[in-house]
Amino acid sequence: MNIQGNVVSAQSAFADKSERDLISAVQQGDKKAYQTLYQTYIGQVYGLCYRLTSDKSLAEDASQEVFIQLWRKIGNYKGDSKFSTWLHTVTSNITISYLRKQRGWVKRMFNIEDTEANYYAADQATDLSELERHVSRLPERARIVFVLHAIEGYRHEDIASMMNMAVGSSKAQFHRAKQLLKEWMGYE
Amino acid sequence: MSNRNFESDLRAQLDSLNKEKLPERDLWAGIEIALAEEAAPNQQAQKRRTNSTAPKVVAMAASFALVAVISWFSLNPSTQQMTQQDLVSALSSQHQMQKNALLVKFQDQPALTENWQKQLAELDEAAEAIKAALKHDENNMALLKMLQNVHQQQIDLIERVHSPKWRQI
Repeated sequence: MNIQGNVVSAQSAFADKSERDLISAVQQGDKKAYQTLYQTYIGQVYGLCYRLTSDKSLAEDASQEVFIQLWRKIGNYKGDSKFSTWLHTVTSNITISYLRKQRGWVKRMFNIEDTEANYYAADQATDLSELERHVSRLPERARIVFVLHAIEGYRHEDIASMMNMAVGSSKAQFHRAKQLLKEWMGYE
Repeated sequence: MSNRNFESDLRAQLDSLNKEKLPERDLWAGIEIALAEEAAPNQQAQKRRTNSTAPKVVAMAASFALVAVISWFSLNPSTQQMTQQDLVSALSSQHQMQKNALLVKFQDQPALTENWQKQLAELDEAAEAIKAALKHDENNMALLKMLQNVHQQQIDLIERVHSPKWRQI
């Protein structure tokens, strides 16, 4: 390995160790350490919450819920996987569960979606890419499946389990999402 | 435009997405308030582990004691007439121990219903009525099974109203 490679490797090992120390301090109840962990990961957590909810206010509330529940769950983190990967799964599950609680039963039963409202809100946001604007306009289930599969890299089997749906339904929602994006991006 | 162009365009846009975003308002203050009274994560995890194993240990001990008592009486038929009431007493005291252990375990945990103690008392009355009937009909296995069933209902009731999973949506 060359010198630059060694430096990168040493930096990475140092970062891993300081993260392990930080997590260990949080597990023992250090709230300052938890604030540092929050500052480190809020971008990742909020980014995922926003993509899943397509609503700024819901994403903020869901992010708070993630960090409240994370405090209760982090004692179970044993370091078997990368913390960011573990946090990612925790965030996805909590946000989906949060969305379920927020959306009224009637609305979900009749599949009434406020996608146009989301789209209008997304259209006003200047920091979103063209793709993000289209994704925010997708129907809720199609959007969640698309975000988890295409952007976050989850398998349909995992998504089906998270969303309590059949694997075939996850694939169908993904196909629906792609068809709508194709149309909105001017390919049809 | 072709399907292939769409796929490659979509892939390119997905690859260039910035996955991190920052919220416009400070979320930490709310989180800090929500966690003010929370115990340390390790303590919570430890408590959850204890809570999930303690009922199993109590149930296993209870089952073992029950099997031991019944085996003892079935292997000693000569003593049956004299000891049916002893069997009822043994079952009752073993059940009382199991019930007390659960009540102590859940004493600091709020119950999910307000009338669970009334239900528990009603089941106590039912158990007493069965025991009274057993005094007059000592060899009635149906009554003995009813007594076991009432005991089990009490255990299930205590666990159910204190079980955290009932509080989750």
